[in-house]
Amino acid sequence: MPKDLGSFLTRIRREFPRELLDVKKPIRPHMWEVSALLKHLEDQGRFPITVFHNPKNLLDKDSAFPLVMNLFASRERCALALGLPPERSRLEMSLEFARREQRRVDPKVMSEDRAPVKEVIEKGARIDLRKFPIPRLHHMDLGCYTTMPCIMRDPDEGFYDVTFVKCMYKQPRRMVASIELPHLRRIFEKYEERKQPAPFVTILGHHPAFLLGSLALTEFGNDDYETIGSYLGEPVRLTPSETWGKDFLVPADAEIVIEGLLPPGVREICNPFGEVTGHYQPQWLMPVLDVKAVTYRENALFQGIFSGHLGHWILGTIPKEGSLFNALKKIYPHVTAVHLPVSGCGRFACYISVKKRREGVAKTLGMAALLNSPLLQWAVIVDDDIDVFKEREVVYALITCVNPARDVDVVENVFNLFTTALGHRKVIIDATRPLDVPFPERIKVPEAALARVKLEDFLT
Amino acid sequence: MTEIFWVRCPKCKGRFYCDTELRYAGVDLICPFCQTSFDVEKGLETRTAPH
Repeated sequence: MPKDLGSFLTRIRREFPRELLDVKKPIRPHMWEVSALLKHLEDQGRFPITVFHNPKNLLDKDSAFPLVMNLFASRERCALALGLPPERSRLEMSLEFARREQRRVDPKVMSEDRAPVKEVIEKGARIDLRKFPIPRLHHMDLGCYTTMPCIMRDPDEGFYDVTFVKCMYKQPRRMVASIELPHLRRIFEKYEERKQPAPFVTILGHHPAFLLGSLALTEFGNDDYETIGSYLGEPVRLTPSETWGKDFLVPADAEIVIEGLLPPGVREICNPFGEVTGHYQPQWLMPVLDVKAVTYRENALFQGIFSGHLGHWILGTIPKEGSLFNALKKIYPHVTAVHLPVSGCGRFACYISVKKRREGVAKTLGMAALLNSPLLQWAVIVDDDIDVFKEREVVYALITCVNPARDVDVVENVFNLFTTALGHRKVIIDATRPLDVPFPERIKVPEAALARVKLEDFLT
Repeated sequence: MTEIFWVRCPKCKGRFYCDTELRYAGVDLICPFCQTSFDVEKGLETRTAPH
């Protein structure tokens, strides 16, 4: 069976039922009710995959499309999506992610009549995006947004680029596509320079490994369908699109595919939108998507991300940790772990642990990390006895080991894509114990005693 | 990093912010609270992003 979202949810229901919450009561996603429920769960420390079986659509009527949210709000579920056991969800998973980034699996093309996503086809006046349960998430959001990967094809070299892009509902056959990241923007600009409309596809739901694979840190020119196959562990099945046929292939096992054109030189207002920083992205102008075809499975699921919350942050964390660890290891082999904490939105801060043998290493690693991952704004380096996946330990190191006069470096006049109070600055904090001045040793329980005293012998 | 400016909707008085590219873009802003379109000059405030 080819991998799809439905098969993944079936497995979770069967093997990990506590990881999934079925909501049967009607709910209005466009009136912030889905985000309200997810926020209530979050406040209780609960982050299950939440399937809303009876959402209302944008016309405030029953939608035929169940809404799936929060799928990525646990590293353990991401491990399952990649075919790993949940207990390998820390650095091991990130290193496996980085390994798969190097592999390619050729996609498989199948005819339209066998493609699940072509079970229902709508074109022209039959299209009405208001049938979907598109959520409005935060109080200042300008409208309802889809938050799933979008696909463009390079007009010169023919490779496909797949990247998460939010699209704001505007009219029954029109959206605004917030193309901010450089790869898709570059492809769009190539079409604009030729004064041609750019083909653009958004997929609303697929197996989570497909979505994780779309986040691989590949260079411009990479065919992302081939990379995503490496994450799925099988070829991505593709099928000709309705609008461009074999000239633009779309994922056959997606839940919903929206095909459209981005006309050159046309921009419309979008945002504010609650983004990954946990702040609103400002109102600005973005390209317009004129929708030409919508195809979907019978019983299709509509998938979304609760942006600016845990699932969104974890999505940023996993692709970067493994490649950053590998890059830092090349500079200093005694690096022991790297973690991008969700408290840093999974993008803006990294914790690096190192078995430090001489002074200066920590700051060197901090500079290397900031260069390797341009979104990073903070790099914190700790000793190898600090577990970077346990934030309490990292903060302990910050409180007890940092002398601000010598251990905090502010790098001025550098580019940060996202707005935070740092502005055009980045920060490196050396939270390792100094080697060049007398410094107290950290307490520890003797290893022999830990080995001798078994918890189960005393608690049963 | 995005530079922003704050505006206040002339109709509902709701406050939100915009990218500086909209300051002189010649397009109407849209209030996220009441969906009213309005000219930048009519809603302009003076607060800006931290530097």
